[in-house]
Amino acid sequence: MKDSLNRLDQLSRRQFVARTAKTALGVSILPIGGANRLLAAGGGKAEHCIFFYMSGGMTHMETFDPKPGAETGGKTTGISTGVAGVELAEYMPQLAKRFNDIAVVRSMTQKTGDHRGGAYWMRTSYEPRATIIHPSMGPWAQTLLGKKHDTLPDSVVIGGGGEHPGAGFFGPALAPLPIGDPDKGVQNSAPYQGVSEDLFEKRLELMNTFDESFRRKFQTDEVKAYTQFYEETLKLMKSEDLATFDLSLEDKYEEKVARYGNTRVGKGAMLAKRLVSSGVRFIEVVSGGWDMHNDLWDAIPTTGGQLDQALSSLIDDLKAEGLFEKTLIVLGTEFGRTPVINANGGRDHHPRVFSTMFAGGGIRGGQVYGASDAKGIAVKENPVEAKDFNATIAHAMGLDLNKVIYAPSGRPFLVAGHTRDPKTDAIVTEGHPIMELFS
Amino acid sequence: MTTRTFKTLLFALSGGLVLTMASVSSVQAEMRTWTSADGKTLQADFVGTAGAGANAVVKLKLADGSVTSYPIAKLSEADRLFVKGNLPTDPAALAAEIDKLVLNKLKESYYGLRDELAALPQKTDLTADEKVKRKEEIEKEMQMCIPNEMTTDNQFLRRIYLDIAGRIPTFDEAEAFLNERAPDKRAILINDLLDSEGFVMRMYTYYADILRIREGITMMGNGDLKVDPYMEFIKQSIREDKPYDALVRELLTAKGKVWENPAVGYLISDQGMRLCNLSNTFTIFMGTEITCAQCHDHPFEEVYQMDFYKMAAFMGTTDTRARGGNAMMMMGSGDYRAEIDRMNKVLFDAGKLRPNQTVDQNLGQWFGTHRTQVVELENNVVKLPHDYKYDDGEPEMKVQPGTYFGDKTDLSQHESPREAFAEWVVSPGNPRFTINVVNRFWKIAFGLAQIEPVYNIPGHLDGQAQNYELLTFLEEMMKDLDFSVKDFFRVIYNTKAYQREAETLTPSLTQVDKGTYHFPGPILRRMTAEQIWDSLVALTTADPESVIRRGAEEYRQVMNVDPASLQTAEQILQWKEDFRNVSKLQKYSGEIVSREDTVDGVQMFRASELRQPMRPDHFLRMFGQSDKQLIENQFTTGSAPQVMALLNGTITNAVLTSPDAYLIKEIAFGKGSKRDNIDKIFLSVLSRYPTSEEKSVAQSGMRARTDRDMSEAQKLEAEALAIGNVIWALVNTREFMFIQ
Repeated sequence: MKDSLNRLDQLSRRQFVARTAKTALGVSILPIGGANRLLAAGGGKAEHCIFFYMSGGMTHMETFDPKPGAETGGKTTGISTGVAGVELAEYMPQLAKRFNDIAVVRSMTQKTGDHRGGAYWMRTSYEPRATIIHPSMGPWAQTLLGKKHDTLPDSVVIGGGGEHPGAGFFGPALAPLPIGDPDKGVQNSAPYQGVSEDLFEKRLELMNTFDESFRRKFQTDEVKAYTQFYEETLKLMKSEDLATFDLSLEDKYEEKVARYGNTRVGKGAMLAKRLVSSGVRFIEVVSGGWDMHNDLWDAIPTTGGQLDQALSSLIDDLKAEGLFEKTLIVLGTEFGRTPVINANGGRDHHPRVFSTMFAGGGIRGGQVYGASDAKGIAVKENPVEAKDFNATIAHAMGLDLNKVIYAPSGRPFLVAGHTRDPKTDAIVTEGHPIMELFS
Repeated sequence: MTTRTFKTLLFALSGGLVLTMASVSSVQAEMRTWTSADGKTLQADFVGTAGAGANAVVKLKLADGSVTSYPIAKLSEADRLFVKGNLPTDPAALAAEIDKLVLNKLKESYYGLRDELAALPQKTDLTADEKVKRKEEIEKEMQMCIPNEMTTDNQFLRRIYLDIAGRIPTFDEAEAFLNERAPDKRAILINDLLDSEGFVMRMYTYYADILRIREGITMMGNGDLKVDPYMEFIKQSIREDKPYDALVRELLTAKGKVWENPAVGYLISDQGMRLCNLSNTFTIFMGTEITCAQCHDHPFEEVYQMDFYKMAAFMGTTDTRARGGNAMMMMGSGDYRAEIDRMNKVLFDAGKLRPNQTVDQNLGQWFGTHRTQVVELENNVVKLPHDYKYDDGEPEMKVQPGTYFGDKTDLSQHESPREAFAEWVVSPGNPRFTINVVNRFWKIAFGLAQIEPVYNIPGHLDGQAQNYELLTFLEEMMKDLDFSVKDFFRVIYNTKAYQREAETLTPSLTQVDKGTYHFPGPILRRMTAEQIWDSLVALTTADPESVIRRGAEEYRQVMNVDPASLQTAEQILQWKEDFRNVSKLQKYSGEIVSREDTVDGVQMFRASELRQPMRPDHFLRMFGQSDKQLIENQFTTGSAPQVMALLNGTITNAVLTSPDAYLIKEIAFGKGSKRDNIDKIFLSVLSRYPTSEEKSVAQSGMRARTDRDMSEAQKLEAEALAIGNVIWALVNTREFMFIQ
């Protein structure tokens, strides 16, 4: 047994090296496809996923789980969804109108009240450790399903920054492509201001001349890989693919900006939709401003309103283009906020209960899953943890929840957390999809 | 070398203390009695030593004046210790011994492969195809058993700067070395570089990657706890060449707050993750991966889950957070909570809080960092996990500290289990401590370790194919050098093995895994992110190390303020301002570097002095700077964003190539030298002069851009543009990015 495990370790290391050597836009150019999506039990319909990550801890009571009238409810009122007995908070008027397309989970619960730890759990299903970094969902999908598009990256993170687990132990080759500002697209993708095409070509010629003797002498794998990166990148700079990241090329740009909102989250949603149309599988849109310790009601109309506007427009456009059924929209955050309003008119960190949202990609809209208690303090029924949240995403995308992947160190991991089956001692998924959400 | 003189002196002094001052001269006059391992004695004066490792001999002067040699290995324990303090630390002698061992292994390996090749046709267990494949492998490996040519001065110059100082040489440094006539100029340069600030910065980055030193070091923190004192402590330890074993001991045993005892930074880095910290300690300092055993017996090494918890129990009385009321605050006399409340009220009354606010959140958080400190507990808190399933223990059972390899420890001899653990880690009886560090340091110089991966050294080395003699020699050498990091590298860099040309073939994965690449030369490797960045910095200034990050002392003062001294709103706000401004960049002159101090908007200072790590979209991170979350989490693989940054980014298009750029204004146009512009640019960027062909290509670009009718100013501008193109092209070459 020891021998076979050793061999596995070496094999994966070799595969890792092969993968690294064939990387283009931060992602490999391995054969497309690989495994089929699992289509069981309503799942597997989502070919794409747009994950809205609300950084800072989104207040559940001012978004998807209002408690008007309760002593903890603050001045937030509810707004009708058209479904009897279900209201969203007043700051989500557009989503309330589209309630038939969305499913709300009101019984999320989290293990920790610190931002970093909470965000890590939500993105990876695992507890942060100082000895390994677990991959986020985009790289998991690529690993389990194979690459989706031959030249475009599988995963993109828009507006990220700070700490993101990225591809974790899958290595930099599978790391999501970071887009800082949706308006700016891929960093450095066009020649520097004032550098004409002629000059650019001329410089490349100089580079190749100066480098010739070195490349002839050192034909190592690493040097060849770099030369290949230069070739791939030059191709990429001229290719249509880059236009995919250029938001200004979007049809009716001005009209869309007005509709989605001229905001980070609005433009992030616009770019995400554009990427989905071109074939990118997993896009995370990070949007901050939710850590509302102070003056919550000064901030929520803006922050909440921008989100409402962006999500609603995205749903409309995906539907109009026939992409809604094959694109899962997910909204997540690290935790909720305390029902008790603090001395500074804000709410503090509250991991005990909070809300998330799902739409499209095989999700049955018009429903609420789980519930918090009357004051919004704890889970009343059907608790959902980060690993279940991710299992739901995985199920929608047709990922095999029980497929064991070994880290280079030889440790086994699953897409939505793992545990041991007490009977068989096999490694099995710890997270379970919320089957009620699927149609 | 300083170590030797110091030790000799120390020996004389301690002798003097025992024998009183008057008798010192008589000790020197009397001959020493030498005892061999089998008990024979001899009267002789100590002359010196020769040879190294197993062949080392002691030279003794007998009563008749003759000098004789005696193998050190055959001396008694006491005499060996005496000699050890006087071993030759002449780097050339030790380097020669290493070279001998490298060559022996290359030769042995070559003959072995030749025999295998000869026997291949007769082999019956291989198919014809397999034989063809194996033949190719053997032939390639035989190629890699032939020592490479010695480096040219240009190749050596560039590599030694990158390896020791972490960057390429500046134009002045390159010219000075190439013009130097002294026959031992390489050894001189090695010495100079080891004593330079560049070495401190380069080694700091190495340590910071394995120790994971980052801003806002705590898991919970949003950067509330600053670690400037820890950063400066590591840099100072490198600067003063603190023995490596002493440094490790300090990291493992430190107590208190980071601004009082900076070495606590190591434990605080893994705050609240005691078991992870233990795994990391094994990985970093003993090249042993035991993380698996945290949850179950190690699948392919002899490490049981019980072993893990016994080791963890050594750290079971240590915590990274002081608990309990105000006692832990140890500042001023007042009640901590009451003081914070008072200060909040002062700010509120003065109208200094935001509308609707009654509390300044930062005040509480920042004063609260006093809680983050390494403390000793009364009880050992380490227990077996709740799902422990082996029959040598019950779930949740308390575990006694115990080692599973090396020496046993005696807890009664130590102040705390942690002290005992630290002692065990660095003790000569620990079979993995020294081998780990020499293996890691070898990799710094040669690009590949003797044993890969460095974090997983097998328990039984001699069964492997590695160069066992060399490894044990290096291990002994490190001990003989009293763990002087500088002296160790001094020897390594003086070897011919290091000074050979880089290998042009890629060692196969099997060679890497099995340790059968025997170093015909260092391997070719891509620069680390920091080496690339710091080399770019070296292209923008004559003195790349002129700016240093400081803040330890300021931080100590800010944190140790007596809250009672913060009475007015102005005083409180000033304190907050001081807290924010602790980390600063400072020039030699003492002048503080402002945020605006940039080249075309980019802060061109050494990576070790900038934010740790930089933000994810920074050039450094793109090229693989570690996020400092995991041990050695840096990478050197390529990506399209890297290439785009070099093709289209600010650095290559403005910082290095604008008409005002240092390389153009100060080097190409500014330096009086008999060399022309193209020569000067090539030497600056690639540390070599152009070939005649390269020169004519570069010059043709220049001629195309100037013409007779231009004014002098226009010509100069056109030439500047053309030189900019050459710089752009050179920085984009693989030759720039790889270390030969």
